[in-house]
Amino acid sequence: MHLRMNPMARALIALLSALALIGCGTNDKDDPRAETRRDVAQEIISYPVGGVLPNGLAWETNNEDPIFASADAKPGGAFRTYVLAFPLTIRRVGPDSNGSFAGYTRAGFLSLVSLHPNTRNFIPTLATHWAFDDDGKTVYYRLHPNAKWSDGTPITADDYLYTLDFMRSKHIVAPWYNNHYTNQIVNVVKYDDYTISIEGGSAKPQDEILFEYSMGPVPKHFHVLDQNWVRENNWKVEPNNGPYQISKIEKGKYIEFTRKHDWWGNDLKYYRHRFNPDRIRVRVIRDVNIALQHFFKGELDTFGGVLPEFWHDKFKGKDFDNGYIHKIWFYTDNPQPASGMWLNQSNSILSDRKVRYGLAHAMNIDKVITTVLRGDYRRQHTHHEGYGDYSNTSIRARAFDLTTANTLLDEAGWTERNDLGIRTKGRQTLSLRVTYGQSHHTPRLVILREEAKKAGIDLTLQLLDSAVSFKQMLEKKHQIAWMGWSGGGLSPRYRQFYHSDNANKPQNNNLTNNAVPQMDTLIDKYRTATEKTDRVELAHQIEQMLHDTGAVIFTFKVPYTRDAYWRWMKLPEFRGTRVGDLFNPMGGQFWIDELERQSVLDDAAPQTAPVSILDTTYFSE
Amino acid sequence: MKLRPQLNPLTQRQLARFRSLKRGYWSAVILLITIVLSIGAELLVNSRALIVSYEGNWFFPTYDKYLPGSTFGLGYEYETNFRELKVFFERQPSNSNWVIMPLVPYNAFEVDLPAGRYPPNAPSLSEKHYLGTDTTGRDVLARLVYGFRIAISFSLILLICNYTIGVALGCAMGFWGGAFDLFFQRIIEVWSNVPFLYVIMIIASVIIPNFWTLMIVMVIFGWMSMTWYMRTSTYKEKTRAYVLAARALGASNARVIFSHILPNSISIIVTFVPFAIAGGITSLTALDYLGFGLPPPTPSWGELLSQGTSQLESPWLVTSVVGAMVAILLMVTYVGEAVREAFDPKKFAYYE
Repeated sequence: MHLRMNPMARALIALLSALALIGCGTNDKDDPRAETRRDVAQEIISYPVGGVLPNGLAWETNNEDPIFASADAKPGGAFRTYVLAFPLTIRRVGPDSNGSFAGYTRAGFLSLVSLHPNTRNFIPTLATHWAFDDDGKTVYYRLHPNAKWSDGTPITADDYLYTLDFMRSKHIVAPWYNNHYTNQIVNVVKYDDYTISIEGGSAKPQDEILFEYSMGPVPKHFHVLDQNWVRENNWKVEPNNGPYQISKIEKGKYIEFTRKHDWWGNDLKYYRHRFNPDRIRVRVIRDVNIALQHFFKGELDTFGGVLPEFWHDKFKGKDFDNGYIHKIWFYTDNPQPASGMWLNQSNSILSDRKVRYGLAHAMNIDKVITTVLRGDYRRQHTHHEGYGDYSNTSIRARAFDLTTANTLLDEAGWTERNDLGIRTKGRQTLSLRVTYGQSHHTPRLVILREEAKKAGIDLTLQLLDSAVSFKQMLEKKHQIAWMGWSGGGLSPRYRQFYHSDNANKPQNNNLTNNAVPQMDTLIDKYRTATEKTDRVELAHQIEQMLHDTGAVIFTFKVPYTRDAYWRWMKLPEFRGTRVGDLFNPMGGQFWIDELERQSVLDDAAPQTAPVSILDTTYFSE
Repeated sequence: MKLRPQLNPLTQRQLARFRSLKRGYWSAVILLITIVLSIGAELLVNSRALIVSYEGNWFFPTYDKYLPGSTFGLGYEYETNFRELKVFFERQPSNSNWVIMPLVPYNAFEVDLPAGRYPPNAPSLSEKHYLGTDTTGRDVLARLVYGFRIAISFSLILLICNYTIGVALGCAMGFWGGAFDLFFQRIIEVWSNVPFLYVIMIIASVIIPNFWTLMIVMVIFGWMSMTWYMRTSTYKEKTRAYVLAARALGASNARVIFSHILPNSISIIVTFVPFAIAGGITSLTALDYLGFGLPPPTPSWGELLSQGTSQLESPWLVTSVVGAMVAILLMVTYVGEAVREAFDPKKFAYYE
């Protein structure tokens, strides 16, 4: 690669590496030569001021919302948790970077603003203030002057301008980011070192643009963007700006994070009394049941119990009876993922609306909930639940009803039944393939299959590797896709799922091949509307129209988090927030009582009655 | 008795020897009975009734087309639930209608979820779930029986395919020798080094493997082992005096191979058969266990085993499937041992 570079760049690289070698083994902060090095780096990519700040901007901030941490929290201790597979890389972007470990690394990179987990208002993070332009797509930010990267370098406007160059670069091999930072985030302008503006691709309501266009900076002094970037950054620890940084990587075994004691955010209102553990060790345990045994031995501090079999059957034993391990079932109230059966409307059988309706009435979702799911999960009725005003709560999913199903299917011409009792029409059998990617969903589908037989529908189950099944769905080769889209955002998203632009084309999210002209019109209107009331009204209409197409049979939602945890894990009085996990290691409010840990593990702690907490503060139906 | 004179005296002696090895002989008998019974499993383990007598008419639903509930005056169009029908008839004592259910009144697919209890449910005589239910509420015994039928037929067909190819090719290699032999030796060496498990994982993640695709893949990667034995054996036999004599008499190649060499190599083939059957069952079970085998909801031992190992709180799952596997594989091994001994040219060898 060096061959293609011009001599200037080569000389600079040589200079940089020479300086880096000199700086080796000394503390950068105290070393004047390190300062020189940084100056050189900044010379290469220091961005010019891009304009003059408009007058009369109404700067906003939010220091009024209540804090969501407990003053009782004691810092210190080590939190031990696990992942099922060692990450393939610790890069944030690029190939293989989107695995289950990504949540840990990405949590170390804050963005300009964030959402308060209870009030859902914006709170300052890397930015202290923000202001909106009249064009409806530009936001101005004042950056926090104390914010620093973990190597001590201040975070300035240049890092945000560099983000754009970085995320648009082909060298990071991340098409999604390339696209997002080109079409969604169109421009970043520097006014001075601590004032920037971000321009988005389209006009939206103010809270939407603040949410969508709030980005996190990339440390420009750290990266060298060339075609080796992906390979060279697989195991390099990138400077970050959150409270934890990776301190140790034992390949194949664990990754350890250490709390930065002089973290720049320590005294900020919304950050105090949070991020309490000194160390977080994420071990690799390749099987959930083995991980559970580690938890029972006290080698892991908490264990997730959302799955009914864990909560009801496996969370048992003398440590539960003696009050050493507690259980908590905590209802949350956040945008729900949309899980359901996505019917491919381009399929010859499923293109008939009556068949889709009939199928919906033949799916005994409630039986699945009351049996294998122990009545814990709830029925999901629409695509967007938990989005506040945007959710259309008047829509109820089609209930299991054989009479209606039979009538509809008869009307659709599926009147005959074959020797097995499955409906036929001409030479065709009413046999539909359900594609899915999680083997632990098989019991749910088996029950639906047996119940659907009663209506004369044959479901064949196609269990594929999860990546392969998703690929098949994106290529629209499925008949029925059994999957869920993760929820999130402030308001519903319709275009990617239901606009005819995406129908019958591979590699997009319109799994139902939905193409309804009236719906397209509404979706386009929704995207350009800037008044919240209009958008809410449109969202309700679109959701109703979606229900009328019968293109999706929504299945379950899980509006809670459940955990088992050792007694030394301490939660605040209020236990948790409206959204988010109780024991999120990278942002939680919990703390660890190391003395109690010792006494419990030494069998010296007093026994108590079993503790099982049910918290319905944020329960909503 | 009439057949006996037609058998070669050597074979007769071998069979007699086999019969005298009690452990292997009785294992073979039990195994054969099990296989025969599993062929008619629908009569023993099934949710369809054996006989229904309704208003003077007799119904035999087992192998018939589906009978909607309305046939028997139940108000639904889907397949009759014969267990409920039986209870329904028994509640009307004046009625002459009756139902005879099979021994285990469940099939391998239906979910039985009694209200208020969550699967897996423990074994219960009163509910006729003799080995309990699995994590979806399906009868474990029914799944074991139908799973066995699939595994054993898979294993037998696999054996026939592998042996046909292996014996034919091995024989040809040994018989013609020379460049043909050398060429196929190299082919087999290369082919044997393809990591079979990876190939099957890749295939299973791209297509849904069904019984036959899985079979084809396993044959493609499984025919090699038999070729080596047949090749050596053919090499050995073709230089023996009786083959030379047959040639001198003008016997064709086909006659030499089929009438002289193959019958004299049969003991090698027969000795390997039981172990190949055991191998077929275990590899199918292993693939199912790993999730690369037959697609759900096919009844399968591997799938039951994987349920059992992740649900150790419900010991009936893992014990029943492990018990069944141990029993079958042990019997197959005993048979194999006895066959080996019976066909052993060194008559007075001791194995025990």
